[in-house]
Amino acid sequence: MKVLTEFLTQDNLIFMLQGAGLSLLLAAIAVCIGLILGTLGAAAKLSKYKVLRILGNVYVEVIRGTPMLLQILFFYLAVPMIVQSVTGERFNADPFICGLIALSINSGAYSTELIRSGIQGVDKGQWEACETIGMNYVQTMRYVILPQAFKRIVPPIVSEFITLIKDSSLISCIGVSELLLRTQVMGASYSNYLVPLVIAGFMYLMMTLTVSYFARRLERKLAASD
Amino acid sequence: MIKVEHITKQFNDLKAVNDVSLEIKKGEIVCLIGPSGSGKSTVLRCIHGLEKPEIGKIYLNDQLLDSKESHYRELRTKMGFVFQHFNLFPHKTVLENLTLSPIQVLGKSKEEANKIACDYLERVGLLDKKDEYPNKLSGGQKQRVAIARSLCLNPKIMLFDEPTSALDPEMVIEVLEVMQELAKEGMTMVVVTHEMGFARTVADRVIFLEEGKIIEENSSHEFFSHPKTERAQDFLNKVMH
Repeated sequence: MKVLTEFLTQDNLIFMLQGAGLSLLLAAIAVCIGLILGTLGAAAKLSKYKVLRILGNVYVEVIRGTPMLLQILFFYLAVPMIVQSVTGERFNADPFICGLIALSINSGAYSTELIRSGIQGVDKGQWEACETIGMNYVQTMRYVILPQAFKRIVPPIVSEFITLIKDSSLISCIGVSELLLRTQVMGASYSNYLVPLVIAGFMYLMMTLTVSYFARRLERKLAASD
Repeated sequence: MIKVEHITKQFNDLKAVNDVSLEIKKGEIVCLIGPSGSGKSTVLRCIHGLEKPEIGKIYLNDQLLDSKESHYRELRTKMGFVFQHFNLFPHKTVLENLTLSPIQVLGKSKEEANKIACDYLERVGLLDKKDEYPNKLSGGQKQRVAIARSLCLNPKIMLFDEPTSALDPEMVIEVLEVMQELAKEGMTMVVVTHEMGFARTVADRVIFLEEGKIIEENSSHEFFSHPKTERAQDFLNKVMH
């Protein structure tokens, strides 16, 4: 019990809560950028141009087929080297930015598949109706197909967000002081990992449960207008 | 107004449309009839360009319909198309369904588009439903909205692809009445239909197709009272009970 009371100070909890906030922020930004990349990726995969389709496929397969940890290390350690050799100047990579880019690009690949299947799930009669009233491809997508596709991909996008909250812990390894890194710092300084790890686990659980609670409410609301 | 020259459309091994030529004059109402799988819907879809025939040419007012031409999309908006399954936009209200294209494609102001849309909704008897979503409407109401949506673009010709086939029997009449009104106003219409009563009373001319070919073509009076070919006689015997 002594370790517990010793650890549970206000300062320590705030220190970890700030880490949790950063994790949540990272996941939220990454899922948003991921949605934009996913929309572009889906448009590429469904394009009539073969080059774009190939590009879209390569993006999705490469990201989904390699470990996320490798991708994070790649953007933090390898990309700066490439930039340095191209520009010839010293390039200091910011771990937060690199981590965020890695998370976003990773999320974008998964979102690509979600959005693609969402778009293909829209009845082809909707395309034909747009065609007969003179709408072009972009107008059709923007006003008719995407609004319907997004409605059906809300649930899988939410679970993508939950995955990202958890996976953002991976960027602790490049020194971004999000929740898991702070947990390890705490554990080391108290020579006790049990309590910080349990508390971190509890915080992750709180975040993911809250998100799924609101997701369920949103789903019910969307279903009501069907 | 419409001239179809020797079109052929193939799906895999099946020749859905086999060397069909026809002409539709301004103000004329033509029904395409025939057993299912006879290619009548495909002919209609080819006219609007929803299907691209491998062979043959289609003209609208002497202008070739060619997807490579820059004014192709504009030309196509002169043809309204009504689908068997309505294809209304489920996430938009009735009014928004009607105004989407006038605002986005024709560049009309929202007020103007709303005004035109309300006019047409009144004509199909559904002005009170303008703020409803399509899922709140019956099949017959949906189809009347779909017809109004087409009319909002001020088409010169209306193409109907089995407009009453997906409807419950008691709703067929309300759609046919709207079409009859249109016919009276002098709209040029091509209708793929199984409604022989409509073809008989409203159509000027009937084109009978089977296995992708035109078998018989005649004024509707002549066709229904004295069908010339045996196949048309057979078909009429089956559908007229």
